[in-house]
Amino acid sequence: MHPDVFDALANPIRRDILDLLRAGPKPVKLLASGFARGRPAISEHLKVLRDAGLVREEPRGRENYYHLDAGPLQAASEWLAIYETFWRLRLSNLSTLLDEELP
Amino acid sequence: MTATIRAEQLLAHSPARVWRALTDPALLSRWLMPTDFRAEVGAKFTFDTGQWGKTRCEVLEIEPGRLLRISWNNPPLDTTVTWRLEPEAAGTRLIVEHAGFDLADPRQAFAHEGMRGGWAGGIATRLVELLTDAD
Repeated sequence: MHPDVFDALANPIRRDILDLLRAGPKPVKLLASGFARGRPAISEHLKVLRDAGLVREEPRGRENYYHLDAGPLQAASEWLAIYETFWRLRLSNLSTLLDEELP
Repeated sequence: MTATIRAEQLLAHSPARVWRALTDPALLSRWLMPTDFRAEVGAKFTFDTGQWGKTRCEVLEIEPGRLLRISWNNPPLDTTVTWRLEPEAAGTRLIVEHAGFDLADPRQAFAHEGMRGGWAGGIATRLVELLTDAD
């Protein structure tokens, strides 16, 4: 898992940007209009997200559109899979205990 | 931006029996992890996770035979675990929800990156084998 992904996710504005992009690709102008900080600050956040591989940019005419890339987010959730496996096994233990041993 | 893990199992046993396995510390220690659990709201207890030390817990909510909610604190992890028992057919559906994983907190994920080494080194593989055998 790339550390940049977590640095990128640690910022609330960047999480909001990712949230907006979940609905589909959006131009920078539209993304910037949703935040009080203005376009230069948003461009800086988009660069961090781009470097982390969480978004990619696509030129369309005069506008740059941003797309969400969920791949790194899936990697980030891999550690949760450890817990999921843990619970599945424990519930299976419980089932065995009840079936075979509990009077 | 927190995540919840959910797992469930249909058990061919009455909610009363499942509740007993969930709240009797000797039984709980056998199927989950060694513990000094007490079925009393506010009771503080631990689960001994072995190589990752003791998880500190507190009983937050009890509805006998239906629901048990505890805190699950193993820094940097600060989470809750809720078990729900639902009668189904002649048995009980047991649902466990482990909530409060903060995906945006790098410390949590990195703590588990380290953990994954141990799991990948054999435990996780063994778990997968056991689960496959059980199917």
